[in-house]
Amino acid sequence: MLVKLVDLFSFLSVVLRAGTLVFQSVLLGGVMFVLWTARYSPDASEDSIARVQASSWKLLRWSAVGLAVVQLFYLYVDSAVLMASADIPFRWVVGANFFLSGTIVLVAALFTALVAGGSKKVASRALPVLVLVIMSASVMTNHAASRLEQRLLLITLSSVHELATGFWIGGLPFLVLGLFRAKDLDTRWYITERFSRMAVLSVGALATSGLVMSILYIGSWGGILGTAYGIMVLAKATMLGALLVLGGVNFLLLRDFPKDQVMPRLRRLIEAEVGIGITVILTAASLTSQPPAVDQVSDTVTMGQLWQRFKPEVPRLSYRFLPETDPKISKPIQPSDPQAVNVDGTPLTPRLINNSIESESNHHWMGVVVLAMGLLALLARTGKAPWAEYWPLLLIGMAVFIVLFADTECWPVGRKSVGACFADPEVFQHRLAALVCVGFAVFELRVRKQKKENDPWAMVFPLMCAFGGAVLLTHQHAIKNVKETSLVELSHVPMGVLAVFAGWARWLELRLPEENRAIPSWIWPACFVLIGAGLMNYREM
Amino acid sequence: MFAALSQRRRLLLILLPVAGATQICLAHAILMESTPKINSTVQGPDLDITLRFNVRIDGSRSRILLVAEDGTSTPLTLAKQSKPNILQMHASGLKPGAYKLQWNVLAVDGHMSKGDVPFTVK
Repeated sequence: MLVKLVDLFSFLSVVLRAGTLVFQSVLLGGVMFVLWTARYSPDASEDSIARVQASSWKLLRWSAVGLAVVQLFYLYVDSAVLMASADIPFRWVVGANFFLSGTIVLVAALFTALVAGGSKKVASRALPVLVLVIMSASVMTNHAASRLEQRLLLITLSSVHELATGFWIGGLPFLVLGLFRAKDLDTRWYITERFSRMAVLSVGALATSGLVMSILYIGSWGGILGTAYGIMVLAKATMLGALLVLGGVNFLLLRDFPKDQVMPRLRRLIEAEVGIGITVILTAASLTSQPPAVDQVSDTVTMGQLWQRFKPEVPRLSYRFLPETDPKISKPIQPSDPQAVNVDGTPLTPRLINNSIESESNHHWMGVVVLAMGLLALLARTGKAPWAEYWPLLLIGMAVFIVLFADTECWPVGRKSVGACFADPEVFQHRLAALVCVGFAVFELRVRKQKKENDPWAMVFPLMCAFGGAVLLTHQHAIKNVKETSLVELSHVPMGVLAVFAGWARWLELRLPEENRAIPSWIWPACFVLIGAGLMNYREM
Repeated sequence: MFAALSQRRRLLLILLPVAGATQICLAHAILMESTPKINSTVQGPDLDITLRFNVRIDGSRSRILLVAEDGTSTPLTLAKQSKPNILQMHASGLKPGAYKLQWNVLAVDGHMSKGDVPFTVK
């Protein structure tokens, strides 16, 4: 029981680390925004800037409070895990690096919240100092702090990386809010143009520091695809690439079009940037719980092993299990004649093979449904097959599949009664997921049939896609059987990235002015097709 | 009342508010080398033990247990760290049999990791 609780708290620790990085970035971005981007100027209306400033200070205060709250939980959770795992009293925990760092961030965040609510003159002097304190303390719990070699260089690079992330990605929510609060076009133009200039510098710093850190932490080409760390870095870089594309479009819009034409499009693009940007920060948090690839040379998956696992094969759509026990001696069958092997070529027992058969078949059936959804959505997009607009009905098929096959021992296919099944937390979660699928199908069909502009229900589907993708990218990593874990990551991480892209592309299709919806309306069904294909080729042996 | 509970129970009480069910392992510090080596056979009854990790370790907040075949475990006292990534300790009076070193370490960056080193004393 204690071990399970410690494991759970270890998982919570990663979630809280993600929360810390998000709030910290928003706080950094907020400080830059209120002190530099949205400064009073003759180029913008004073009244409008005052409105932007007021809402930005408020958001800055709340992000500081958010950081303090997350930090408090982080200290509590990490202290509890350390006390349990090292069997030490609380007074010994107090001197640990993470405790000192967390306490400093907590106090500095509380001061920030306090200062941001008071005199703006005092705040403008105190905030840069507080930001510096938060940054320095935060780097104490970074990979760089525990490295044996090139420690100073890595600490410097990490600091630059986190600062640039904060100024750019953390500043985006303030820009969205500012564009909403500014009353006139000139002020919106003024803050966007200034933010854009600062973003270009931040992107340069972010990419340069990220590239050098990737080289130092990954160490080889093989480590990019052969370790979970490398795969996560690749996912982060891909999403950063998407952000750069969106940022590039913003830049060209600002340069080439008149203000009144640009602003409606720009606001929607920035909304998608905020979503993808926060997912990048969450992925970074997940990365901090991983040992760098350069330390896992003997556990790096080779290209041959990757091909063996990912070469295209016919999907497994049947559930033909092997006998697990020998009826003559009533003992588990040992794999004398290997029918399946793991990544290292070790023969698997019939029980492990059966587990993999079940998991692979489930993934492949899901892949069939998702692929069909994507293809139908693409067909509907052509405008030549109106019946294909009913693709959300496939989600009901998915729900039926979950109810029938996820828990075969349960009603309606198994012997277990309805009551007994719902008492099992795992079965309960599966049944809840089935219900959510049905809910989605109903909402999305309603949205497609009614085609109302600015329908808030239409946002449920893209947000859930993006959220699902973010969860796939922020999950926990196992250390036992490192190579198998890397292979699972390699199959799931691309699906997470595609789900994030699908969600935000659909968001843009719904939010952009009608004449600009063409590209995103093709992107998200294509992402569904790729996710379906990925699921259909998922293998565990 | 809280003070009257054993430390383990107190920890359970601290941890329970958000209890759920999940099976995961945090991975950060990696054991690069150990003496004795994993699954090796060594000469008893006295044994110098060294664990080398890939990152800096906070030795004063790490715990190494020596677990015997019958499940009894003894916490080992760590020597002063000669290098930031190395933990050294000494075990004495080991009888022939199978043992396991259970390590729970805190990396300087605040991540906790755990693992085992099984070995046999002849």
